Amino acid sequence: MASFLKSAASAGSAAYDSFRRLPGRKFEPAETDQLVLDLQAALTEDRVRNDSAQRALMSHDASVFDGGNAGPVCYPETTDEVVAIMKIAERHDRAVVPRGAGTGLAGGAIPLGDAPVVIAVTKMNRVLEIDEDNGIAWVEPGVINLDLTNHLKPHGYHFAPDPSSQQVCTIGGNVANNSGGPHCLAYGVTNAHIMALEVVSPAGDVLQLGGLDPEPLGLDLRGVFVGSEGTLGVTTKVAVKLTRNRPGVRTLLLSFSSVRDAANTVSGVIAAGVVPAAMEVMDARITEAVENYVHAGYPTDAAAVLLAEVDGLESGVDIDADQIRAIGLANNATDVRLAADDTERALLWKGRKTAFGAIAQIAPDYYLHDTVVPRSALADVLEEVYAIADRNDLLIMNVFHAGDGNLHPLIIFDGRDPGVLDRVHQAGAEIITASLDAGGVLSGEHGIGVEKQKFMSRMFTDDDLDHQNRVRQAFDPVCRANPGKVMPMGHSCADIQQLRAVPRDVWG
Amino acid sequence: MTLGLDADDLNSCVQCGLCLPHCPTFRVTGDESMSPRGRIKLMREVQDEGAPLTAEVLRSFESCVQCRGCEPACPSGVPYGHLMEQTRETLADQKKMAPGWQRLALKPLKHPAALQAGTKALSIIQKTGLVPKRLGLPDDLPFRQEPLVASGDDVYLFTGCVMDAFQRDVHQAGQRVIEAAGFGVTPTGDLAPCCGALQAHAGLAGETRSLAEHMMRSLAPDTPILVDSAGCGAAMKDYGHLLGTDEARAFSARVFDIQEWLADNMADLPTVEPLDLRVAVQDPCHLRHVQRVHLATRVVLAPYVRELVELDDEGLCCGAGGAYSVLEPELAGQIRDRKVASIDRATPDLVASANPGCSMHLAGAGVPTIHPMELIDWALTGTR
Repeated sequence: MASFLKSAASAGSAAYDSFRRLPGRKFEPAETDQLVLDLQAALTEDRVRNDSAQRALMSHDASVFDGGNAGPVCYPETTDEVVAIMKIAERHDRAVVPRGAGTGLAGGAIPLGDAPVVIAVTKMNRVLEIDEDNGIAWVEPGVINLDLTNHLKPHGYHFAPDPSSQQVCTIGGNVANNSGGPHCLAYGVTNAHIMALEVVSPAGDVLQLGGLDPEPLGLDLRGVFVGSEGTLGVTTKVAVKLTRNRPGVRTLLLSFSSVRDAANTVSGVIAAGVVPAAMEVMDARITEAVENYVHAGYPTDAAAVLLAEVDGLESGVDIDADQIRAIGLANNATDVRLAADDTERALLWKGRKTAFGAIAQIAPDYYLHDTVVPRSALADVLEEVYAIADRNDLLIMNVFHAGDGNLHPLIIFDGRDPGVLDRVHQAGAEIITASLDAGGVLSGEHGIGVEKQKFMSRMFTDDDLDHQNRVRQAFDPVCRANPGKVMPMGHSCADIQQLRAVPRDVWG
Repeated sequence: MTLGLDADDLNSCVQCGLCLPHCPTFRVTGDESMSPRGRIKLMREVQDEGAPLTAEVLRSFESCVQCRGCEPACPSGVPYGHLMEQTRETLADQKKMAPGWQRLALKPLKHPAALQAGTKALSIIQKTGLVPKRLGLPDDLPFRQEPLVASGDDVYLFTGCVMDAFQRDVHQAGQRVIEAAGFGVTPTGDLAPCCGALQAHAGLAGETRSLAEHMMRSLAPDTPILVDSAGCGAAMKDYGHLLGTDEARAFSARVFDIQEWLADNMADLPTVEPLDLRVAVQDPCHLRHVQRVHLATRVVLAPYVRELVELDDEGLCCGAGGAYSVLEPELAGQIRDRKVASIDRATPDLVASANPGCSMHLAGAGVPTIHPMELIDWALTGTR
């Protein structure tokens, strides 16, 4: 068994338990070994970094989990360079960790185990081609999500998936996590917007998955790759589907005196047959923090606010907006406001999309959860989430994609308080259990990473997990790509590999 | 080692990364160590975890333009500018940053006569073509400048150091505009030779404090102080934080960017035919991200030009950064390339910039720049 695997598997578990305080990570210079020299020869010296500062920075993404020591950090600019990195890593028996902007929330981009090579795609950031006739653009994985949408604006298009981190997250990261976002309610998550991928497999093969035809032949390996969190290889080019900008948009802000009323409004709107572009709920605490930052006129005295947006033809959007207003009022909305113009709309969305970052006004650490429950169970599960917080003596805020039942309970705390991490973990586990018991799923959009591995077996049977492992091994027989993530320890790629271990070099 | 950073300030960063695209050095390098999140993380590693101050850590701190574009992007309100200034002050005190030649180069700033003489000398040498391009100096340094004369005591016009030596014509235009709006102007001249912004950027906060104290002693109380250089205005508005006294806070409260002040006092400006120009507004970082009064530039310019156009880069830095373009020519050039591309997309006739450093830096790439006050003066007087 490859040495990196065993250490990665146990490090994944340690990272989950430790949050930001993984013991054993040291800020010390690494020797410039043959691995680094080979990588520098394949790229350039300044794009392969092996200094202690660089490697320390790579031990983190935006999650609360702390990785171990990163190995050399590579900034490739071409597919060929990614191929070279993969082959060199293989030769030196080293794992690789792909990284975009490092804004993931499940620890998907942190290094685990024996100093894996980091492949940072931030320099692969060109929009290669825009094909308006077919509504497709080819982009490199390091293109920032919002940059792509801004780039498409003169053409009358945008890229529909809009994670809250869209101003910084990369398309490559969106592909890896099958990211969602407020407007995925009407338009679908990333998977629905990726036509084809060029990827480099862990063995260094360049594959094209999917195709530009509406119904590509063969197995849908594109669908397998999207959401695989870097465990099947590295994305080097992406063909994204372009979405037409709609002529009419209406954004409503509804205030409620209870979270239950807001949740019921959401269910009511969908039941009435309206398909809004987005429906987002924020509770009082988070609304206050957000308003303090954006000054968008969010009501700070409401128990919950619902941000609803409809888009389409000018003649239709007012009808939809009126219907949402009526359903809100029927569910005891205390105020309904219509954004007067694009500036006000942008400000309201800025508030929603910066909600997580805004919490440091209250406490220095946060743990953002991500589960999905059936819409009809929203109100009950939310009440349970608040009860879980009370039981564990924690402060929880709720901000979520209400339209598709995607909850984001946000536990805020000060990691310096003794014992608080145990309570945070306990509450997290209870939230997941409550969501699954209500018929929900583990993750809406943040992915599994190192965060939810432990809970995978509550969602999937042994046979399910074994088959997922086999798919992974078809791409990556020794689990060289992003080891220690996603698959739970008891079912991990690593363990299966161990059972069927073939001595290294047996194939020459 | 301690960097002297406040633990709560340092902890206020939750490492969400929303600052990254708003950082010019991250934008051109894609390198986490050249991002605000990365720099704060390294400050923590050094101060909290005992990490050594390696060459790469120093490089991370040195490469920051201090544009503070990350601050408005930060939902948690991390005081990044103050963290970076304090870091540099600690490292400069220990002689790990701001080498002797830099300290020496900043010395003449507080001696107006020396600056004027130096500029005159430079203007002569420039004719010989011996001034290196990398210094980013304007092409036509003035050999002789008309003195500024007080016209009343309604407001001060802060004239500063390098700007008065290089671009006194901007002060003259600004003074004429304020006078046209019905106010008497006292140029500060030798009363307040330098604001200390460049020294603060270099980590020489002691020098900045003594310059601030000197200025506060020299200028009569209560009179508004108008500043036509965004960098100076931002520094003077920060004296309250720098000195931590009520007196300094009161002083900072009467410092205004000249556009900011004029936007509220332009009722009596004459109505004239607007200039037939398409003008792009380039927001200096210290006007937009630090003072956050950049919208006033549009308010005062709107009546005087045919068309105002916005750049599409959300106020990303141009790379000038005080002395940054001289100290870090390569990064500054790459950052400027992005800005120039954005300007090209806006297809303006002229670019209005309310900061001398930005306009010199952009002019170095062939961008036709002009100060907003010069534009208004041009419209009012009919001559440029």
